[in-house]
Amino acid sequence: MTRPKGAHSLIRVVVARWSAFFGFWLLLAGPGLNESVAKGLTTDLAANLAVGLLAAVAATWVSLRLLPPTPGRLHLAALARLALHFFWQSIVAGVDVARRAFDPRLPLKPGDLTFPTRLPPGTERAAFGAITSLMPGTLPVGTDDHDRLLYHCLDLDQPVAAGLARDEALMMRVRRGGNDRDD
Amino acid sequence: MNLALDILTIVAVSLGAIFFLAGTVGLLRFPDTLTRLHALTKADNLGLGLVVLGLLPQVSAPLAALGLLAVWLLALLSGATVGQLLAGTASAPDQDRAETPARHAGASHD
Repeated sequence: MTRPKGAHSLIRVVVARWSAFFGFWLLLAGPGLNESVAKGLTTDLAANLAVGLLAAVAATWVSLRLLPPTPGRLHLAALARLALHFFWQSIVAGVDVARRAFDPRLPLKPGDLTFPTRLPPGTERAAFGAITSLMPGTLPVGTDDHDRLLYHCLDLDQPVAAGLARDEALMMRVRRGGNDRDD
Repeated sequence: MNLALDILTIVAVSLGAIFFLAGTVGLLRFPDTLTRLHALTKADNLGLGLVVLGLLPQVSAPLAALGLLAVWLLALLSGATVGQLLAGTASAPDQDRAETPARHAGASHD
């Protein structure tokens, strides 16, 4: 009760991230937990788990350095909409690029596009870059002197800028809420 | 039921292989580094997704299924990140080209 509010939320962030990293480690390294349950805690299992616990601590520390917790909450409905949109569009992107690669005429019209974004620099912009790099026909290559995002496009005849604007609007709502009609 | 799941596995994994092939064909046929990156990131992402989807019905434990999904997610994240970094490096070769002759000129004086 006497602790400042900031310390509480930092502890929450640390616990949440550490649990997520340790869960991920259990999934990927999978130190034979199912067999071990029958045998009890052997030295082997204890040694394995110790490595995992320490790895999760290290990962948490690095993530706090590189990705400091930001105040405010995520709007889960908006996040789900973004995820669904991303899932579908990344399928479209894969089919689109495969079609072009196999087409004997190689239908490409590559070119550059500048996209003035409203997203603040940092995590949100990095996430936007990662998402749009898997969207149909767009590949982020950097930022120009006027703080606009630079994109390389596979086919300038496609409505690339409109697609990016839609992705951006979906992304904005994850942090700030709002519905489809507010832009 | 098992037969249906096996058919799903065969179809999805084969489709996945086709998309990996498409990524490689794009890597070979597309004209420059940036267009090749488009082919690799997008086609391989979908290819891996389909392979994982095909393998899901064959796992023995639910945890293994989660593990497969985790692998796909990590590959997705690293592909998207590395793709951007490579694109950033590849799109700024003009500076290097401008510098290289100067360096050569400097070296020839020595």
